Amino acid sequence: MSFWRSSFARCGLIVAVLLAGLGTCWADPRTSNLWWLPENATEGGVYIDQLIYFILFLTGAVFVLTQAVYIFFIIKYRAKKGVRATYSHGNNRLEIIWTAIPTAIFIGLWGYSNHLWWDVLHSTPPANALQVGVAAYQFGFSFQYPGADGKLGKADANFVSNDNMFGNDPDDPDAKDNFTSSTLEIPVNRAVHIRLDSKDVIHAFYVPQFRVYQDILPGRIIDWVWFTPTKIGKFQLACSQLCGSGHYNMKADIQVVSEADFEKWYQEKAKAVQPQPGAKLSSITETKDQ
Amino acid sequence: MSQTIAHSGAEAHAETVHHHELSFFHKYIWSEDHKTIAIQYLFASFFFLIIGGLLAMGVRYQLAFSGAPIPLIGTLLPKWLVTDAGAIQPQGYNGLVTMHATVMVFLVMMPLLVGVFGNFLIPLKIGAPDMAFPFFNALSFWLFLVSGIILLSSYFAPTGFPAAGWTAYAPLSANGAYNGSQAGQSLWCIGLFLNGLASIAGAVNYITTVINMRAPGMKMFRLPLPVWAIFITSILLLLAVPVLSAAAAMLFFDLNFGTSFFEASHYGQPLLWQHLFWFFGHPEVYILVLPAMGLVSEMLAVFSRKPIFGYKAMVYAMVAIGFLGFIVWGHHMFVSGMNLMLSSTFSLSTMVIAVPSAIKTFNWLGTVWGGSIRFTTPMCFALAFVSMFVIGGLSGIYMASTPVDLFIHHTYFIVAHFHYVIFGGSLFGVFGAIYFWFPKMFGRMMNEFWGKVHFVLSFMFFNLTFFPMHNLGLNGMPRRIADPGLYDFLKSQQPLQIFVSLSAFGLGLSTLIFFVNFFYSMFKGPKAPRNPWNSTTLEWTLPSPPGHGNFPVTPTVYNGPYEYSVPGMDQDFLPQNQPAPKTARLAVH
Repeated sequence: MSFWRSSFARCGLIVAVLLAGLGTCWADPRTSNLWWLPENATEGGVYIDQLIYFILFLTGAVFVLTQAVYIFFIIKYRAKKGVRATYSHGNNRLEIIWTAIPTAIFIGLWGYSNHLWWDVLHSTPPANALQVGVAAYQFGFSFQYPGADGKLGKADANFVSNDNMFGNDPDDPDAKDNFTSSTLEIPVNRAVHIRLDSKDVIHAFYVPQFRVYQDILPGRIIDWVWFTPTKIGKFQLACSQLCGSGHYNMKADIQVVSEADFEKWYQEKAKAVQPQPGAKLSSITETKDQ
Repeated sequence: MSQTIAHSGAEAHAETVHHHELSFFHKYIWSEDHKTIAIQYLFASFFFLIIGGLLAMGVRYQLAFSGAPIPLIGTLLPKWLVTDAGAIQPQGYNGLVTMHATVMVFLVMMPLLVGVFGNFLIPLKIGAPDMAFPFFNALSFWLFLVSGIILLSSYFAPTGFPAAGWTAYAPLSANGAYNGSQAGQSLWCIGLFLNGLASIAGAVNYITTVINMRAPGMKMFRLPLPVWAIFITSILLLLAVPVLSAAAAMLFFDLNFGTSFFEASHYGQPLLWQHLFWFFGHPEVYILVLPAMGLVSEMLAVFSRKPIFGYKAMVYAMVAIGFLGFIVWGHHMFVSGMNLMLSSTFSLSTMVIAVPSAIKTFNWLGTVWGGSIRFTTPMCFALAFVSMFVIGGLSGIYMASTPVDLFIHHTYFIVAHFHYVIFGGSLFGVFGAIYFWFPKMFGRMMNEFWGKVHFVLSFMFFNLTFFPMHNLGLNGMPRRIADPGLYDFLKSQQPLQIFVSLSAFGLGLSTLIFFVNFFYSMFKGPKAPRNPWNSTTLEWTLPSPPGHGNFPVTPTVYNGPYEYSVPGMDQDFLPQNQPAPKTARLAVH
């Protein structure tokens, strides 16, 4: 029998074809970071990545250990002539050990996660945080910035309507000089505190490089999400909650710029809004039927 | 006492077994024989498996070749699904995603696990003539079939399939103006409602049968693990499914009668839907995996020629999963906008529910340890189940950690995770179980060689399809996006998307080998003996296939279910209905 007809060679051939296929797939990703986490661009993301790596090593170790033992058993205890299986119904001490150890590990992991959840990711945002309103609708996002007073003002889900997408309180003077933008412009290294609301169905605020995901609910204003961008650049906000026929393309651009560039952009935008004392801003005159 | 009553009835029944022939209608259509009903479920699930699989192929085609017309059949498809040129449109894609999941969960996995194996195995394994309520049993099957037809009928509606995801998050699902498929979504509600009735009727039947109709000597702790698993699953079904049925009815009212349970614009609560759905949905996850755990445990014991390692620990772990399964639903909602404190508590309960799964895994390892392993096709699938379940279980820990969920929620990471559990886990378990119980169902053996080919190909293509999805998810690929190429951060993923899709097509094709083997063997396979695998449980003491009424004489049970390789015995298995010979040294455990 020639070499190429042996089963060894055939297996080798199959493996070679598979590797070649994988290799082709590998070539592009090496440059595009396809196989791994996208670069992190927020302060909080650093902690999330650490936690991901921690869980990766933990689960990786468990996986490798259990599979190694399992495969070893499968090979070692394959049926052999004249060898009978061991007659055993189990071992209570082992049961206790392999109940207690995972319980301790899982509760420990919960402690670590929960600490991050409360003390870092959902702690009170710093006082100098930039307030931005985010309104989602079928199928797009709109962003609202506080005017010269630096305050977005009060908002309530009951005020949300086609003409008042951000649910601003029409009687709150703080909201009168707010201005809107179709892109999310934010300064680097300053906390951004977003206030989310939806006009129709559930949408989501998802930016993988920021390690942030939050559903945006109709009928409720969510104001606990904040993050501090650490990298200047262009990012994309994606709606990540199925929201209808246009969901596939519901996105918005995010520009993280230097503090100076942001000030320039902000002043220009704020100047365009000329609040006249006593006059209601046209965008917030109509409120929803109560 | 109930046993006595049930079995005096059984004996009377057994005498009539060979005396009357059933009409064609009562034998094959409205059959009240649990074995026939199991086979009806099996064929119906196969039909839906093919439909669900084709929908998945459509999803994968779109993700790899977005905007390209579907070859051959593209222009034949309805207009809600494809463009004039025959390429899938975004709303059509939403429909494919929605119906793939709905079909696979409600019309394939639940009936395969509970309908087929619950029906076929419970009476045979506990020594009963049939189910407690045979009429209910038949009703349950036909309700299920009607529900499936209703769910799929939306294909013919002008607006097509429901398109709000299988989770049907309101208010998208609650208003035709939002979701663009009023008819499809309404049919979805009706279909799930009827499907729920079928599940509830089935669950009542299984629970009653297991409690009341066990043969003399069949103590609860002598029940084979598949029976335990389906028993616990039935309790979950009975408690969880009514919640879904109620929610589906409310959703139907919102859609069609102007109520406002979930519509925020009229002061309804969108989150209420999620709470109701996941209160059902998380026990549902365990409904989809517990029976497979039971089936796999049995195959591991039979082909390792060993008793199950830690039988009682296995039972307690399943009971624990059953209880805890009802207090973890909020882990689907960490980032839904519900109170952050609830996320903390649900995260803790989720971490805790990982423990019984870990216990089961260690006990499977223990079962294989010291065995005399025979690598039959069912054993290959059972062995693969354990590894795939370990991957699916470990990837669940990422989501259970609230901060990590902030990043990977709703990405392909979760898609990879639940396919590892439900496909690599449950469906592999079902494939193994079909190879294993096929001889008892049809009286013939399936082909081993083609079984192994099916195993190797599906194992390989399964991993090539779903493992890279972890990477796609970690890289930021959201679920349910019809055209990832529109996002800057997803453009570089395209080569991997194509790789995954090609693997998925391979996975789809490998299943054809199974179907050919199955139907060929049904008619041409070698005749099966009573007990081809030298197994201990009661079904193997009967002819293959067993006659109507099952046991001519009610068996008496003397032993636990997995007495393999007992020292002091010549043969390496001790059937449950045979007293142990004096020489046997049975362990007290």
